[in-house]
Amino acid sequence: MKNFIISVITTLVFATSAFADVTLVVPQKPGAGTSVWAQIIAIELQKFLPEETVTIKHIPGARGTPGFDEFHNELQYNDDVIMVSNGSNALSFLADDVDYDYRDYESIGLMNLNIITGRLVGTDMSDVKMHSYGGRQPEVMAMAMLICGPSVDPVQCFNDNINWIPGFSQGEGRLAFKRGELNVTRENPAAFKKHIQPTVDSGQAEVWFTHGILQADGSHADDPNYPGLQFEILYKEIWGKKPCGDFYDAYVLAKSFRDGLQKALWIRKDNPNRDKIVAAMTAMANDPESVANIQEKVGNYEWLIGDDGDTHLDTLMTFITADALKTLIDFTVNSLGLQAIYKEDLLK
Amino acid sequence: MEIFYAIMAGTLYGLVIGIIPSAGATTGLVAMFGFIGWFASFDPYLGVIFVMAVVASSTTGDSFSGVLLGIPGANSAAATMVDGFPLALQGKATYALTAAITTSTVNGLLWGTLTFALLPWYSNLIMIFGIPELWAFVMLALATVGFVSSKYWVRSIIAICIGCFIGLIGMDPETAADRYTGGWDYLADSVQIMPFVAGLFAVPEIIKGLVSATTVAKMETSQKGQTWDGVKAVWENKWDGLRGGFIGAFIGFLPGLGGAMSDWMAYGATTAANPNEKIPFGQGNIKGVIGPEGSNNAQKATSMIPTVLFGIPGASFAAIVMALFMYLDFELGTPDLVYDDKFFSSLFIGFMGATIAVCIICLVFTRWIALITYVPYWIYGPLLLIFVTWACVQYTGGWEDYAIFALCSILGLAAKHLKFSRPAMLIGFILADRIESLSLQMSSLYTIDKLLDRPIFLGLCVAVIGMFVYGVFFNKNKLDYS
Repeated sequence: MKNFIISVITTLVFATSAFADVTLVVPQKPGAGTSVWAQIIAIELQKFLPEETVTIKHIPGARGTPGFDEFHNELQYNDDVIMVSNGSNALSFLADDVDYDYRDYESIGLMNLNIITGRLVGTDMSDVKMHSYGGRQPEVMAMAMLICGPSVDPVQCFNDNINWIPGFSQGEGRLAFKRGELNVTRENPAAFKKHIQPTVDSGQAEVWFTHGILQADGSHADDPNYPGLQFEILYKEIWGKKPCGDFYDAYVLAKSFRDGLQKALWIRKDNPNRDKIVAAMTAMANDPESVANIQEKVGNYEWLIGDDGDTHLDTLMTFITADALKTLIDFTVNSLGLQAIYKEDLLK
Repeated sequence: MEIFYAIMAGTLYGLVIGIIPSAGATTGLVAMFGFIGWFASFDPYLGVIFVMAVVASSTTGDSFSGVLLGIPGANSAAATMVDGFPLALQGKATYALTAAITTSTVNGLLWGTLTFALLPWYSNLIMIFGIPELWAFVMLALATVGFVSSKYWVRSIIAICIGCFIGLIGMDPETAADRYTGGWDYLADSVQIMPFVAGLFAVPEIIKGLVSATTVAKMETSQKGQTWDGVKAVWENKWDGLRGGFIGAFIGFLPGLGGAMSDWMAYGATTAANPNEKIPFGQGNIKGVIGPEGSNNAQKATSMIPTVLFGIPGASFAAIVMALFMYLDFELGTPDLVYDDKFFSSLFIGFMGATIAVCIICLVFTRWIALITYVPYWIYGPLLLIFVTWACVQYTGGWEDYAIFALCSILGLAAKHLKFSRPAMLIGFILADRIESLSLQMSSLYTIDKLLDRPIFLGLCVAVIGMFVYGVFFNKNKLDYS
């Protein structure tokens, strides 16, 4: 018993963690997507912060909220702490009861990406089957508008034509798509190339649409890899006019936040280390070896560093209007059956 | 060269863990949660090789404490102990160990080749197995672990239910709302597998080791010539070894079984096939070592088939392997891996490389390796406990990690004491999400008519009913398997 007690006490001492010179706080457990991304960034960033020690601290929890909230309420006041956020955090910012608020921070660097939606060739558009894993509101909203066009209420179109099926993990969803049990899927560019492109090349599937890449002026650019399939372009081609209305605005709001803040690094606004860290991030993003290492592991995405990231956030905030936000929340709660709340303070 | 280092490091780690009384593959794999993150950032494929090397070598290594001390390193050596320990008492420890290691290696290589080299070919199965078939396969896993693996089937069913309930704590997949968390935010991301597995398996075994530790040395007389005699014994009794291997391979392929069950079945089959022995079984008959040792490595290999292809663990150790691979960003049971030749190669290289390496190391250094078993348990028992605890508190590092670990340990100790099947509890925990998600998927995408058109699904449902009938009315299994 004596040995047992000694061993427990020793364990408690060993397990006490401390913050290093620069700590990336990840709101996920080790091994999850954002955690892996952060580990790669930490390794590369370390090369350009030779006098510091860059480490990772995981603060996991449902939807990534507990970790980001802890940063907001406590950790941001430590000048050496950088928050790592992802697309789920961005959607939760719009629709969940969270403490964190992007407007309180400065962007150190972020990755802005496009999402690609594929479908099986010959899919019956009145019986679309899409799995609900991980913040897929923008995809089903786009589908509802593309399938029925301007003359039909998109919510009604969703209810009539789209099956939103819960219970799939990302990998299970891909498998069900390949087996034909689901007929629609969506991926980021790197994952689409790896997992879905072989099915496209074999003639079984095709790219349906892409959301496009958010620009500084608030528009979404066509993806040169899938020309003409960006949502707004495709919609106009099919229905002869530009999409508009509250539902469309809600769609733009959701897709812009989720994809525009897919992976992002934040610090407190008046953090004195800001210039040093931004300089290191800039050096990392311009270093061919680091870029190659990052691209090899996570794909080739556009980096926005320092002031560019802050400008990007300013652009995103312009999409938040009362009608767009209410429509997004209504659709999320009433049509998708997910938990969401309307937060009026986002309009301030 | 890195691959070689990974194999050797995994082999030595697995061997040491395997040799430690009451530890075994499960404890060794649980402790890996503390450092698996390093592989994730460095090279995840090396992590796969390391994990498979640990699995293969710990299975071989656990024969040592079973034969020398009469304390199995893990469940897999319990059957070996019945005849191995008497042989050691007669001064034939090296003879017994050599026979055990050789049989284990031969069957490991045979069934490892059939499993891992052909796994990419088997992967076509995942395109044939749709959602209903997977649902039925999960039910089959639960039915086998509940009704067949233990003589206390009612307790096994309760254990499955407890595991499922704990596995469902977290987020409701339909609404994304918190579920069964009692308002504790920490649980919103579900109960983590590390403290659950460690509490359920590692802690009770370590405490048992601390309580009942012995340091009696059994290699007192000359061991000269026994190595060659052991190898010869394997050749002379090759059919017993191969039969054991076949039984182990078959049990390993069935989801949810494995471990002690296959070894005891192999032991039973060996005794039944040799009714008129000069040396009675249980008193040092070498066939009683060769039969069950043929089973354990074969079972470890084929357990990986349902684990890798369908994400349904073939045994409790495979459930932990599955979780470790999740940390390495390999989601088992998905098509991502079907096209990943490097992943399959890593499984193959890790398992086969370690099987060969551990055989060479054990045969050459048997006498010296055996010295580890003379080290008093109170020296490495607490060290193991520290390591396992450290692995369990890597989630947040906060007091909540310790609290959950303590609660899971209490659950594990209670389950062991009251003979509730801990493997059943673990399988329930691991599969809870899948039971729920597959049920949701099946009810959303299939009608009764469509289901009745699927022969594999219907066949599996019949098998589930068969397991129930067998377990309730005909099961003569004497294993408590707690």
